[in-house]
Amino acid sequence: MPENDHYVIIGNGPAGNHAAATLRQKDKDAKITIISDECVPYYYKPRLTDFIAGEIAKEDLMVNFQDVKDIRIRCGQAVKRIDPDSKLLFLQHMEKIEFSKLIIASGSRARVLPTMSGYADHLKFVTSYTDVMEYKEEIRKAENFFIFGGDLVGFKFFKMLNSMDKTVTIMIDPDAFWPYRLTRDMLEQISENLLKFNTEIIVKDEVLSIDRQNGSYRVKTRKGIEKNVDMVLSFNGLNPNIEFAKGSGIDIDYGILVDEYLKTNVDGIYACGSCAQIYNQAIKSYTTSIGWPNAVVQGEVAALNLLGDHKIIESVGQKYFDLEGVKIKTTWWEDINEDNDA
Amino acid sequence: MKDINIVIEICGSAGEGTISAGEITSRFMSSQGFEIMSFDSYPAEIRGFGKCVAHTRISSRQIYSPGKLADVLIALNDKHAISQLSTLKENGILIYDSQPARPHKEDESVAGWAKPGMISYGIPLNMLAHKASGNARGMNMVALGALAALFYVDKSPFTDSIKTRYAKKKQIVIDSNVNSFLEGYNWTKENIKKIDPHSFKDITLPKPKEKLIINGNQLVARAALDADLSFYAGYPITPATKIMEILSRELPKHGGVLLQTEDEISAIGAVIGAGFGGKRAMTATSGPGFALMTEFTGLSVMAEVPAVIINSQRAGPSTGIPTKTEQSDFNSAVLGGTGDCPRIVLAPADTKSCYEATVLALYLAEKYQTLVVVLLDFFLSNSIRNINIPEKPSSEYLDANIAPDKNDFKDYQRYKITKNGISPRAIPGTPGGMFFSTGLEHDAYGRPNYSEAGHTAMTQKRFAKFNTVLTEAPAPEISANDRDEFDIGVISWGSSAGAAHEAVMSAQKEGINASSFSSMMLSPFPEKALIDFSDKCKKILIPELNFSGQFAGFATRILKRSVERLNFITGRPMASEDILQKMREM
Amino acid sequence: MKKNDLYSKEETFFQSKNKIYSAQSVKQIVYSTDIRDFGQVAKSIPCQDACPAKTNIPGYIRAVFEKRYGRAYELNRSANILPGVLGRICARPCESSCRHGETDNGQSVGICHLKRSCADLKPSSHRIIEGLYTPTEKKVAVIGSGPAGLAAAHDLSILGHKVVIFEGMDKPGGMLMYGIPEFRLPRDLLMLEIQNILRLGIQLKTNTAIGSDISFAQLKKEYDAVVVATGCVSPRKFDIPGGNLENVYNGLDFMKAVNEGENPFVGDKVIVIGAGFTAVDCARSAIRLGALDVSINIRKTIEYMRIDETEKYEAQFEGIKTYSLIQPSRIIEDNNKVTGIEFQRTRMEKIDKPPYRVSIPIENSQFSVPTDSVIAALGQSPDMSIISKKPDGMDGVFAAGDFVTGSSDVISAIAGGRKCAGKIDEYLVGKKRKRTVVRLENHATTDRQRSYDFIGKVVMNTIDMEKRLSKSTREVETGYNEDQTHEEAKRCYLCNLKYEIDPLVCIYCSACIDVAPKDCIKMIGNIPVNPDGTYGIYEETDDWNQVLSIAIDNAECIRCGQCLAVCPMDCISVTKTELIEIDT
Repeated sequence: MPENDHYVIIGNGPAGNHAAATLRQKDKDAKITIISDECVPYYYKPRLTDFIAGEIAKEDLMVNFQDVKDIRIRCGQAVKRIDPDSKLLFLQHMEKIEFSKLIIASGSRARVLPTMSGYADHLKFVTSYTDVMEYKEEIRKAENFFIFGGDLVGFKFFKMLNSMDKTVTIMIDPDAFWPYRLTRDMLEQISENLLKFNTEIIVKDEVLSIDRQNGSYRVKTRKGIEKNVDMVLSFNGLNPNIEFAKGSGIDIDYGILVDEYLKTNVDGIYACGSCAQIYNQAIKSYTTSIGWPNAVVQGEVAALNLLGDHKIIESVGQKYFDLEGVKIKTTWWEDINEDNDA
Repeated sequence: MKDINIVIEICGSAGEGTISAGEITSRFMSSQGFEIMSFDSYPAEIRGFGKCVAHTRISSRQIYSPGKLADVLIALNDKHAISQLSTLKENGILIYDSQPARPHKEDESVAGWAKPGMISYGIPLNMLAHKASGNARGMNMVALGALAALFYVDKSPFTDSIKTRYAKKKQIVIDSNVNSFLEGYNWTKENIKKIDPHSFKDITLPKPKEKLIINGNQLVARAALDADLSFYAGYPITPATKIMEILSRELPKHGGVLLQTEDEISAIGAVIGAGFGGKRAMTATSGPGFALMTEFTGLSVMAEVPAVIINSQRAGPSTGIPTKTEQSDFNSAVLGGTGDCPRIVLAPADTKSCYEATVLALYLAEKYQTLVVVLLDFFLSNSIRNINIPEKPSSEYLDANIAPDKNDFKDYQRYKITKNGISPRAIPGTPGGMFFSTGLEHDAYGRPNYSEAGHTAMTQKRFAKFNTVLTEAPAPEISANDRDEFDIGVISWGSSAGAAHEAVMSAQKEGINASSFSSMMLSPFPEKALIDFSDKCKKILIPELNFSGQFAGFATRILKRSVERLNFITGRPMASEDILQKMREM
Repeated sequence: MKKNDLYSKEETFFQSKNKIYSAQSVKQIVYSTDIRDFGQVAKSIPCQDACPAKTNIPGYIRAVFEKRYGRAYELNRSANILPGVLGRICARPCESSCRHGETDNGQSVGICHLKRSCADLKPSSHRIIEGLYTPTEKKVAVIGSGPAGLAAAHDLSILGHKVVIFEGMDKPGGMLMYGIPEFRLPRDLLMLEIQNILRLGIQLKTNTAIGSDISFAQLKKEYDAVVVATGCVSPRKFDIPGGNLENVYNGLDFMKAVNEGENPFVGDKVIVIGAGFTAVDCARSAIRLGALDVSINIRKTIEYMRIDETEKYEAQFEGIKTYSLIQPSRIIEDNNKVTGIEFQRTRMEKIDKPPYRVSIPIENSQFSVPTDSVIAALGQSPDMSIISKKPDGMDGVFAAGDFVTGSSDVISAIAGGRKCAGKIDEYLVGKKRKRTVVRLENHATTDRQRSYDFIGKVVMNTIDMEKRLSKSTREVETGYNEDQTHEEAKRCYLCNLKYEIDPLVCIYCSACIDVAPKDCIKMIGNIPVNPDGTYGIYEETDDWNQVLSIAIDNAECIRCGQCLAVCPMDCISVTKTELIEIDT
């Protein structure tokens, strides 16, 4: 066993970094490591759209987080497998790391559904730094876009394209806000409010096929609409990055299942941020959180509980996302009087 | 068009094809019209599985130094690459094996040490090599394939370079290498999301003239052959061995003789013997061998016999570090030896002037009947450049002996006192040209003579040669010489000159009024030019690769002013970045 | 022929492959009953070990590679009786143990798909081979014509006994016929393979239920032995309020109705409860019956579903959603018709004895969703009513398959049936007539190319959604074509080839370790022996003074043959190891 504790945090986002900072603050001697599969230091994911639009520079994406001190940050290194019994992490590049306690804050990435498998190769996703670096130029050059799905990031992206004077067709799928499903009324209201953008909106339809021809894409829908576009972007919600935890004995459903204390079923292993499904006593169910402030608080709470505290996580930050005039509760399980909050 | 200026390092264990991969990259890039400069480092021990690094700088413009830090590090061996990570830039790119045969223990994987800000691309090098050819030998080619894919380098000319490299091997070797390359290329294209800015896309340079891709040692050997060398004696020593190796193959074809002696003393003895016999002769060695030769060098000066010694410097003293570069034989070459011993010392500044220096050395030795030392170093000997094919020396450089005429033979004085110090030299066996020859002080006939006047006259005569030698050597290179005043003057010699020149150019861009001065001729030194240059400079900086500032000490005596010194004995070539940094601080 | 002639002849054969092999390589066959050899076979051929019927998987895949599909089919049939059926619906425990699927080795070999290819591609001239024993004049009754009953009947028949199968339903096959949907298992193929068993002279009496048509006591009297192989047919009760309403089905009845060609009402929205393959079959059948919104609802998490990845994927592909961590608490009705279902949320808990994870309902967490029908596929248990005591073979009454083990899978049932047949035979003739041995044969080459290791798994061909919906019984998977079969067959490591270093010849140069593609060749200090006499896991050492031998770890070895190629001493041997049955 190592002389000091080795706390390992999987994930270099707000949850991971705040967990690391809290651990360091409380435990001066422990060895702390952050592992991230992205080759980029801690950055503001929400600013990626601004970066594509050219409104901010690459440097402005980076978070200047001074609280992370004496912490080894392993970038561009993916965890492949966890063995909770021997307390080992197996990295993609075949290195083994011993840990004494673990916080999983691996976030989430674009969701691809099996029903999309026929044309998934032609879809582009822009939910990570890597995606953005890869497609930034292409997005700038392209004129015609087809946005498919339309989750929170998707709407933000849509507005950005709109501000760049691109031609956009948007197909809204009520399931894209997974795990939340839009109601019919919401869908209608959103479409109506989107009309002011002078864009084509498709609802209650499905993508049938996407073919590539001469550098552009032909999208066909089940109801017979055909579109020729330069890029097809998919925004169908996010899926937690938790493949590495499968089969480890840590309870997983869609995300990593944790209790109100953000602890998994395995001692010494915690999860927080958007990769976690957190038990919520109020609604007696598991929920997945969204948004930067939630991730920050969860990171801190996970770290404190890992060190022996018993803090129950509560949701913070914005209570609503404004989706084209329609409010979607980020904490949709809470019974809040909308008038009071608005 | 965008400029390309990139440094790629391939790091592996001896036997993993590290150096071949670097060589193929250099050749390919050269064939595409880029300037290349590469420098490989080997383990200090010849045997075993030591660390090899192939360092290549590729540029679309003229370059003068190999570049200190790498933009890209290709790790073929994790253990060695971890120690090499310190030379990777903060935003550099690491290409590593993501699927080695055996798992690594904690912290033994290079990928684990990539710093935030670096971009690391994991390529299953070992696995893909196995896939392409059934074994791990093609890992280096897989890595090159990945490199080409990442940087949008056209794959078909690259594969041509691989084919050329292995043209003499069996077809299966060629196929394995090409397949490994393509495997790496295709895998990377399919699986890696590129997030770095480097790109060779749409960069087309004019079709280059035929270039020589060559290192200093090879050029020295080539120059010696072109300059009608007919005798070589030597004893192998790193980093000069390659010269002997090439000549052992080529010299007999040119009607010459190569003799491997039992040691360096013998070697220089044989060279002086051949010189005495009228043949162009030389030897090549490094510091330890040069020290052994030192006593004999006096004979060459005293008996006025042409002799050429190539000294490729390495880290000393004694056996030192055989595979690390240094410029620490300045004192021993310029000032060493017994007595008042005027000798000519040349130090080429870059690869292509190794040719010029060798031709010049053989010419000067013959014409001035004296010892000529050419100071190379490990870096110059081994770094590879692509250069235009050098022009062969004109006839005057090939036959330089000042032979006695009819009048001289009436009363032949082999050591006749002349104004320029050169006495007409008869080759033994010339009718009427008999003379004495000895290491003792002598009179004009060569007979031992120890008189005050005689010794003074003869010493003056031998030093008189220096008055004209300088007119035959290339003038010092001075940048921005049209200006009257500089804030900083950088004076350098040998292989550091390129880095100094590059640093000065960068400094000028930054608004620092600077100039550089370097001279191939170290002895006799162009003192006036140096003083003139110094007078224009507010501050003087002398960077060199030795601990004690040997050249700086020499220059201070000439300049009679204090200078800033910049000394490194890291074993790495001089880096323009370090000089620039020092200039900023001055 | 003199011994020398034989030797030189074989040597020439080996020389013709451009390599001269030492005398040890000359073909020698040994039949071993050594426990260490059994241990080695079990450890280094994990697929075969995982197969309840111990199918010679590397053997048949090699035959497939050689395009000897008939031979491959027979290798299968000799172990698992119904290759064509299993090639479609087997639970594939072999594939989860396949070495190719281990960490860093890629994906497991499509063992099951290749089994199907044997059946699909065998030539029309293919002949079924059965080694028939002399008739014994003994009579055996088999109750139930499911996989266990069929397997027992088959083996008993071969052993010379007269067999009669009693089947309560209209058609034979049991769960194969009534449980598994036709789009996964075409009925003509099923009947063909059942006929192949019945052709041995087995009498099949359908529509004959024990108890009502003929009494169990009578069977005992008329037959020398009776096998109870009635499987698990009593569905677990759906014990919540409203569980007996119209449009609430139990999974087995629902599948039976579908398979009998009835079109049970499902409506637009269907809630399926259950985490096993029956639940998935029900959900997929519901889609084919025209349902628009079908979900599978499970108490635990997706990880605990008892179905393989292919089924999971196909269900998702067909648009079936899965909701986890919920359990039904009440069915909501309107006029005695289902209108919705109330769920209660659950959370995972650990129980210590036995160590297992269970789902615990959360109090006051009820919520309801509308639905048109509910299908509860909660598993089944055996119907014990026909017999008075647990069969133990003492009085000639035996039992096999799910009836014994509880609800399992087809391959386990077949293995159970065959094992039972062996016991009955011993009971009837008074001695063991067959035993299993390890056949060891020297093998000259690796039989493989290194490039085979990098072939990706060949994806099964399937029909598109439109075709699936247009005819509900149309088989979804269409099998590999011959090229795909050949490609997939290349992927098998052939773990039945054992690689060994002869420590007496080895000069410890470690050239083999240098070329090893994995951590498969080890310097070992000790080979521990397990309590059962088999060899344990090699103990490695870095200390040359402690090195007992350089050894190939056949549990890591991917049979690439690199070591064989570089060994300067030719001290690495390849031995083909097979489990075979011989007469005692």
